Amino acid sequence: MKKNYLIFFLFLLTYSSIAQNAPLINATLEGKVIDQKTKEAIIGASVSIKGTTNGGLTDADGKFYLKTGQKLPFVLVVGFVGYTRQEFVANTSKVTIELLPNDTELSEIVVVGYGTQERKNLIGSITKINPAGVSNIPVGSFDAQLQGKVPGVQISSPTGVPGETVNVRVRGATSINADNDPLYVVDGVFINSNSLQTIGTGGKATSPISDINPADIQSVEVLKDAEATALYGSRGANGVILITTKRGEFEQAAKIHVNASFGQAKAAKLWELTTGPEHAQLVNEWWINTGILDPSLKRTAANRPFRPVADGGRGLPSEQKTYDRLSEAFRTATLQNYDISLSGGTKTTKYYIGGGFNSQESILKPITFERQSFKVNLDQKVNDVLQVGVSNTFTRTYRNQARAGDGPQGGVLQAALHTPTYLSPYNETGELVGRAGFDNLTLLLNNYDVNSSSLRYIGNLYAEAYLLPNLKFRTSFGADYNNYDESEYWNTFLLLGAQGGLATSSISQFTTLLNEQTLTYRQKFGLDHNFGVLIGNTLQSDVLNRTYAEGRGFANNAFTVISSAANRTSTQSWSKSNLASFFARVDYGYQGKYLVDFSIRTDGSSRFGSDQKWGYFPSLGTAWRINQEDFLKDVGFIKDLKLRASYGQIGNQNGIGNFAAQGLWTGGAPYQGNPGIAPQQLANPDLKWEKTSQFNIGLDASLFNGRLSFELNYYDKYTKDGLLQLALPSTSGFSNYWSNVAEISNKGFEFSIQSVNYQSKEFSWTSEFNIAQNINKIEKLSNPLNYGSRDLILQKEGYPLYSFWVYKQLYVDSKTGDAVYEDVNKDGKITVADRQIIGSIWPAFFGGLTNTVQYKGFELAAFLSFQYGNKVYNHNKFFGEGGGARDAARVIFASNNARWQKEGDITDVPKPDGVNVNNYRDGGSRWLEDGSFLRLRSLNIAYNLPKKIASKLGAEALKIYVNGTNLFLISNYSGLDPESSASSDQNAQGIDLGTPPQPRSYQVGVSLTF
Amino acid sequence: MKLTKYIIGASLVISLGSCSDYLDVQPLESISDTKTIFDKTSSETAIRGVYSALADGNYYGTTFQSIGYLSGDNIQWTGSQSQVQEFINKKVNAENSTISGAWTAIYRTVNRANNVISKVPLVSDPLLTDALKNQIIGEAYFIRALSYFDLARTWGGVPLITKPTSSPLENSGIARSTQAEIYAQVLKDLDIAEPLLPLTTDRFRATRKTVWALKSRLYLYQKDWAKAEDYATRLISDSNYKLLKPFSSFFANEARGTQESIFELFYSSTETNTHRGQWQPQTNGGTRQWAPNDALVALLNDPKIGGGRSTLIAKDNQNRWYGNLYYRTPATDPSYIFRIAELYLIRSEARANLNKLTDALTDLNAIKDRAAIALSLASSKESILLEIENERRLEFALEPHRWFDVVRTGRAAEVFKVTDVNRLVLPIPSNELLRDQALIQNPGY
Repeated sequence: MKKNYLIFFLFLLTYSSIAQNAPLINATLEGKVIDQKTKEAIIGASVSIKGTTNGGLTDADGKFYLKTGQKLPFVLVVGFVGYTRQEFVANTSKVTIELLPNDTELSEIVVVGYGTQERKNLIGSITKINPAGVSNIPVGSFDAQLQGKVPGVQISSPTGVPGETVNVRVRGATSINADNDPLYVVDGVFINSNSLQTIGTGGKATSPISDINPADIQSVEVLKDAEATALYGSRGANGVILITTKRGEFEQAAKIHVNASFGQAKAAKLWELTTGPEHAQLVNEWWINTGILDPSLKRTAANRPFRPVADGGRGLPSEQKTYDRLSEAFRTATLQNYDISLSGGTKTTKYYIGGGFNSQESILKPITFERQSFKVNLDQKVNDVLQVGVSNTFTRTYRNQARAGDGPQGGVLQAALHTPTYLSPYNETGELVGRAGFDNLTLLLNNYDVNSSSLRYIGNLYAEAYLLPNLKFRTSFGADYNNYDESEYWNTFLLLGAQGGLATSSISQFTTLLNEQTLTYRQKFGLDHNFGVLIGNTLQSDVLNRTYAEGRGFANNAFTVISSAANRTSTQSWSKSNLASFFARVDYGYQGKYLVDFSIRTDGSSRFGSDQKWGYFPSLGTAWRINQEDFLKDVGFIKDLKLRASYGQIGNQNGIGNFAAQGLWTGGAPYQGNPGIAPQQLANPDLKWEKTSQFNIGLDASLFNGRLSFELNYYDKYTKDGLLQLALPSTSGFSNYWSNVAEISNKGFEFSIQSVNYQSKEFSWTSEFNIAQNINKIEKLSNPLNYGSRDLILQKEGYPLYSFWVYKQLYVDSKTGDAVYEDVNKDGKITVADRQIIGSIWPAFFGGLTNTVQYKGFELAAFLSFQYGNKVYNHNKFFGEGGGARDAARVIFASNNARWQKEGDITDVPKPDGVNVNNYRDGGSRWLEDGSFLRLRSLNIAYNLPKKIASKLGAEALKIYVNGTNLFLISNYSGLDPESSASSDQNAQGIDLGTPPQPRSYQVGVSLTF
Repeated sequence: MKLTKYIIGASLVISLGSCSDYLDVQPLESISDTKTIFDKTSSETAIRGVYSALADGNYYGTTFQSIGYLSGDNIQWTGSQSQVQEFINKKVNAENSTISGAWTAIYRTVNRANNVISKVPLVSDPLLTDALKNQIIGEAYFIRALSYFDLARTWGGVPLITKPTSSPLENSGIARSTQAEIYAQVLKDLDIAEPLLPLTTDRFRATRKTVWALKSRLYLYQKDWAKAEDYATRLISDSNYKLLKPFSSFFANEARGTQESIFELFYSSTETNTHRGQWQPQTNGGTRQWAPNDALVALLNDPKIGGGRSTLIAKDNQNRWYGNLYYRTPATDPSYIFRIAELYLIRSEARANLNKLTDALTDLNAIKDRAAIALSLASSKESILLEIENERRLEFALEPHRWFDVVRTGRAAEVFKVTDVNRLVLPIPSNELLRDQALIQNPGY
């Protein structure tokens, strides 16, 4: 209100000055700009005369000089970063203007568990992200867009397919068999983040997070330490991601916002393969070398496979042709995105209505992703004490899918990448044929018919009432309804459908229902004491229901629905879990200097043994705002300095079976068409919560009036009673059972810094940098566990999760051409005992750097993300560098050309032969590579049209932008993308097999506000 | 304010009205393991569960069978899964996924059988007659015997588990018995099963005759020639079993349960047999992971040697040979465990070793006659035994015999060039060694 008076007053002054017809001067106006608090000069502040282009900057003494033809008095507009922009009425020359430091940064509202908090009062470790800066990255889901933005949160995209699952790890991973994914909360609803996909697409899986239109998101808060996550008790061990969607404002005129963009995406590079002649040469060498080592095989130069056709061979190597399939499978993909929203409010109602359409082709044919979203948020003040509201998100995503990963049939990359290049796609009679056991690529691409559609509703209905002015009651009912419908049709041109066609249909429904009550009380006692209490409860029920049908044998390719199949089979599954929770938080602040809070949550889960259902998760946090102390109050350059510490314990039960604690027999063991029963799972009545204790200490500082601020955190997480499918000796008749035996630790630093490097009226340059380190270690695990193809991953006590277990290739003997491996146990033989752990998927550090430069209406933002020190197993190359052993069954990579051929050759690629298994051994370290990278994640150039021009076009604001992603990738990795990982099994990460890389893309767009 | 009260009231009723069994959610797809086998129906369904384990893709469905023929000299690797080549090269690593799959599937079968053996005798349901009860228990004993027989011939001595597992601590940490002890257990189980089972003919379930077939094979492996001959004779002289002509009669044209068959596993369009996928070429919806090698193709296609057995293989549209014993769509091909032809060859071999050369030749020639090739005129024991070996190679070209046959006759060095005797049993899967300290690896691995 004060501000309004001021404006009114200024208006009057201006009006009266015109009326008075004050004398015209043409002289120098002198002045000085100082800090109101410290009275120190402010350097570089912008001073201009309102309504003119006349202006300048303050000098090293904070002084400015303006030549003006204006009449006194007039209005000066003075601004500087970190200070409230001010209008000053100049009556005479030689003025002193005091600027008031602004606290917008410190009073920024941060969403915390069951409430909001001003940043200056935060105790926990929470990162708030405004997603607008990255929302142009064309990846389908907002979590993938945040890579490199949140210190301590490692985000990687295992495939380059839009809308596929993304690995998000908040401060490492805490569990082997329970989920390591964070909890996602959208407007108070705990949403499903597990893919409902059932059809096999080679380890890839669609992401349910991509059902959320990034354009509808107002802010994302990542809760990391125990203090921040404790109120999510059972769910918070892997961090919590709070998503707040956009809402209207009371008493705001209707605003329409439109954003449209178009673009293209392309693979930055593709695999390098041998030519036909090179392939043939390698196979011949392998053949002859094999024959020398094992004469009983009778393999000689005379009967080598690639010998003249006249001799019954396939033709000499030089006669082989080369067929390029990769460029048929990859394309320049088109991207488009349109968002429109309407928001505003009256005195008692506020609304936000948003609609979005996003359509992206994958660079790999025929994959597409399309999302149509519709959002309505509504809040209504019923009377002075009661407010009700709803949040609704309706989304439909539609995907053309394809098998990109491993698995021979129907796989696009199998047909395109793994088929030997010398093999023609045509047979002698000119028909298209599949080779090497894979489909024919052309037939595959023309006949692919695998698609899925997801129908999603996320909604929340709340009512909140002030029972007393400082006592608020809130109740809400939330729902997350996922309907995921998939179908496949493989016609007779395709291998899977070769026998009369194959159709499948699967419908999965996952429903979360949520009810929640909270009571919040806040009271100030005198000036010094600030006291708050929150109590609440939650009931949550999850049901997964799935129906699957399959049909084989169709009359012809025109019939594609299961009802017309000769053989039809179907199955159904149902599973449910319930969770009941109670929670409370007490916080107290003294003089705004000393802050402390304590919270506790107790959760009961239906998944655990009868006596172990309830878990108790307490946390304690404190903060000390040091700059509020007398001894720092006068230190001008420190705007804020806060030391935080917290300790707490949080639980995890996600990812385990709904009936994991029970001993079960299955009814699914039929014989001769009659039902059969059989043991399925061993009981563990003691199965209980996995518990993670976390200690966090942090320092927040804001210096030089907010021009430089940083945050530093150290954390130490220790997980006990880790949920594990403990492997049992198979002699028991079971493979494993659910237990609480693993212990895992994560320790690390996080550092982030924001800096305004240069600021003037027309030009500014800001930087944000963050870096984090996480040291993960399995502290206790009775028996090591193998995961991944060829046991490439070993989980072993004393080592990080997801360590690579390989035979270490030392060198290739330049005399014999044989690979020499490290004989760890020195028994003269290379056996499984010689496998060793070399590296893991964890980087030594990772982070991001954003630089933003603004000049007049132009804005340039460059965002780099990086990680260093992690390993990737290049499984594509393992297959592709098979030394000819797979002959016509697999492609050979160009890297195999570097093989040893004759004595004296120095190379790390051994001689091809089929006898010495060591030379191209499964699990050799030759394919374990450094996965460090630096990526130009996004480069954004925007131009904001001057308001005058925009308003001529009828808009309040108009922005035109160009955006590029992945414009460069610096990495030693010899594959396409060091983030690639084929398997959706969380324990088999870091194995790159048959996934398309993240594309390089370019987009142009326009954003309009009316 | 009234409205506010209603809202608070309603929300409290919902949140606090939930009762204590809110956290007690039971599955609908499974039953508790505290009450499993207790009446006639549950006894019958439990024994079907044991057959289902026997028919699993990792046991007689595909994986275990593949060990028997891939390790021989008939099959070449034509796919991408390099563990296949380890068998063909006779250099199987302990990490080989085929052996761990088979090991796990066989012990799962043993555990299911153990459940039936220990629980069905305790069932008191008037509807469960003694005859039916005995039959169910006898079938479980037979399947357990077959399982241990397969374990012993593949890995040598293995841990002997005869009680069902009901908690994680049971049935692990048990040291390996010797191969002889396991074979003794097989015989013991067969002796128990024999009187319990009816003397009927059922080609899909175990009967007393099925027990005889396994006894005959067991005695052959143990070189107890007289007993091998005796049990083989009991089946050969049974008119329910016949060598059908032509050779393909027992599998071609979607045949199942023919008179050739003593014991085969049943598959249907809902309980499919994945075996065809490894053999059939891509144009028939398979992966042709492996295929008959040139030597076998030549032998089978030689009318004087292969005869009617050339129907085991066929050519695809790229002129490549593939095995065609498992070919049906949907994949309902039976898995053949005992055919009467095997009993002829067992008896022939037993008789030859007993120096009943004429009788031996008669049995051998019954097989040759059925294959429509010239009869043998061999006259010495050695030449008859060699002919039996070669006949078995073709008669069971795509069935799991070749490796075990050549190993048991001690001719692996000569035939397969495997001179290291340690290589005659396969390594214990490496992941099992990690899980159970009591397991000790076979020497040489």
